[in-house]
Amino acid sequence: MEQEALTFDKVKAGYKGRIVLDDLSFQVQEGEFISLIGPNGCGKSTLLKTAAALLRPVEGRVFLFGKDVRSMRPVSRAKLIGVVPQKVESPMAYTAAQIVMNGRTAASGPWRGLAEEDYVVIERSMIYTNVLHLKDRYFMELSGGEQQRVILAMVLAQEPRIIMLDESIAHLDINHRYEVLRILKRINREERMTVVLVSHDLSLSAEIADRLILMSDGRIVSEGCPEEVLVPDILGRVYDCELKVQRDPVTGTTHVSGILEGINSRSRIHNTVHVIAGGGTGIELYRRFALQGFRVTTGVLNGMDSDAEAARALGVDTVLEKPFSAIGDEAYQKASEMAAQAEILVLSDVPIGSGNLINLHLAQEALKAGKEVWIAEGINERDYTDGKQAAFTVQQLLADGARIWISLHDLMKELKGER
Amino acid sequence: MRKYQDTTVRSTAMRRLSTISGTRIALFLVAVPLLLSLSLLLGPTGTRLPDLDSPVGKAIMTLRLNRLVMGLLVGAALSVSGVVFQAILRNPLAEPYVLGVSGGAGLGATMAILFGAVSAIPLSLPVMAFMSAVATLFLVYGIASRGSGGVPSVYSLILSGVIISAICSSLIMFLVSMASVEGLHNVIWWMLGNLQPAPANQRFVSALFIVSGIAGAWLLASRLNSLTLGREMAHYQGINADAVIVAGLLCATLTAATAVSIAGMIGFVGLIVPHVTRAMFGPDHRWLIPLAAVGGGTFLAVCDAFARTVLAPIEIPVGVVTALAGGPFFLLILQRKMKSAWIG
Repeated sequence: MEQEALTFDKVKAGYKGRIVLDDLSFQVQEGEFISLIGPNGCGKSTLLKTAAALLRPVEGRVFLFGKDVRSMRPVSRAKLIGVVPQKVESPMAYTAAQIVMNGRTAASGPWRGLAEEDYVVIERSMIYTNVLHLKDRYFMELSGGEQQRVILAMVLAQEPRIIMLDESIAHLDINHRYEVLRILKRINREERMTVVLVSHDLSLSAEIADRLILMSDGRIVSEGCPEEVLVPDILGRVYDCELKVQRDPVTGTTHVSGILEGINSRSRIHNTVHVIAGGGTGIELYRRFALQGFRVTTGVLNGMDSDAEAARALGVDTVLEKPFSAIGDEAYQKASEMAAQAEILVLSDVPIGSGNLINLHLAQEALKAGKEVWIAEGINERDYTDGKQAAFTVQQLLADGARIWISLHDLMKELKGER
Repeated sequence: MRKYQDTTVRSTAMRRLSTISGTRIALFLVAVPLLLSLSLLLGPTGTRLPDLDSPVGKAIMTLRLNRLVMGLLVGAALSVSGVVFQAILRNPLAEPYVLGVSGGAGLGATMAILFGAVSAIPLSLPVMAFMSAVATLFLVYGIASRGSGGVPSVYSLILSGVIISAICSSLIMFLVSMASVEGLHNVIWWMLGNLQPAPANQRFVSALFIVSGIAGAWLLASRLNSLTLGREMAHYQGINADAVIVAGLLCATLTAATAVSIAGMIGFVGLIVPHVTRAMFGPDHRWLIPLAAVGGGTFLAVCDAFARTVLAPIEIPVGVVTALAGGPFFLLILQRKMKSAWIG
């Protein structure tokens, strides 16, 4: 009978003053091989820590085989769930065998010590992970792959029913990575051990896991079999970049890769984008445009504005006005000449007041010259001019053919698709 | 995973995975009684037993035995305390001094001596020393946990320990500079460290404290092994890491503070004996703690035998002997065996 091995029920968890997991619910069935994927900082490690009760949920509950993990004694919890962290270090000169013995410590209790059965389990897990021949070598002198297998043996010696690996295989070379994966797959099949593997390698996850869970910003974006989750559209949104998903027609495996063509090819036409920004709204635009190979210009900005600093750091051509003052004619003329060189003009979600209202005229000029103009949506919320002049101007611009952009990701796609 | 049913595998697994060297243990067990009897035989007039039939000879023998027991207790206490501190803090420089434990105990003892409590109230010296050591530990722990939000990190513990320790020694020096001539002599003599047998009741209480502290540490041994992999990994293995840390710190403080109260500030033992024991027998705390206790006790007892005989009738402070005689010897061992103690 299928049993729920791990259940998150509306879990909110995080660190002091910072919630990472936001109302997270999911189940893992016993015997499943799950791969947890998602961009850096999306909460995968936090999820692992919460599952193993290292972190206490602020709200909601975590169940291991139907029991609330918070009410469990540490020893009983360790018999259900084992965690292989990214890296384990011991400053002292323990041998590999001594490290693996730690897996039996909690179960044996302080009075009894390790019994013969414990040594049998230890030896067996060392055979399983192919490290028995390393037993007398110093743990810290082993190679990364050997260390990782010793740690895996230690966690297996705990005899847990769920094993979670936190990017533990990321640092291994391809040979050892597949060796560890083969071990995991084998325990999964033969012992019905539930495996939750946190991984950055999407193709690998697709190849090995029964089910993928894709996380972003502390929430689950998508879960299901690899074909359902690894969809370019979803991945592109979560990872905020363009990804290629290819299915091997022979083996049926899925392969995910980033797109490097644009960066590698030199023949590409480099369009110029003029960005109207301010108050930090332009930083991400500059960065992304520069990365995609656009030539970027910007202005008019006030000196000492965070966008001005970023533009300087990224080598973006900038027209500056004095700090904290309204944009004058001289600066506007310069910006106008600069914008005339660009093919595309993008307006960030910068708040518009009387001081920088004049920047919108740059957009009007660009439209008249037949250029593409993109305006961030939601002008009403950031219009601080008297009588809503900015909103009025934007309405006119839109009527004349300017377009609205909502997410940076879509904007990039549109602009690149144009060429 | 399924348990093995095969009994032949079962009986040999333990032996195959055994990690301690039998020959070294045997050598150790032969050397310890030899060294202890040597330190009983050493006297100002040569290496022999005093005449046990005469009352004077009997008295001398009792005195030597008492000092031997003192040496064993204090040496064992300091060594085990060092082992535990090094394991919990995962730091080879940790010892009773680092967390301010010795400094706190020293401050308490200095006050007890200078303010006349020692002669007025029995047992005031060890009790004051222990209480101020525990107070110091709490202070250090409190400061460190405030800085790192909740559970203190190892680095904040060490840092606040070193600072509090420095404050304690400044206070001791201030008290000493203000002291009368007689008080000054008492304090300095106590601070240099010596194993003059304490009054019987004080000795009994101290022995009780030290033995229970060491026993407590030994019970934690396999958990200390896990803890050297880090608090997080220990937690994943089903160990209540924070409880082990607090219990370990208390055991180590109890033994170290008691040792300081009966024998003064004897340096070197708490730092070096754990390292040498680890270099000889490996870092497994199930073996390390008893071996360090016996080894450290024997080392201090032998050093004391030299301290009272080499320049007789003048007695050199035992702390001088531990560093001068033990230093080069231990350096030699560490130089050749460092790899089997710490790596990284």
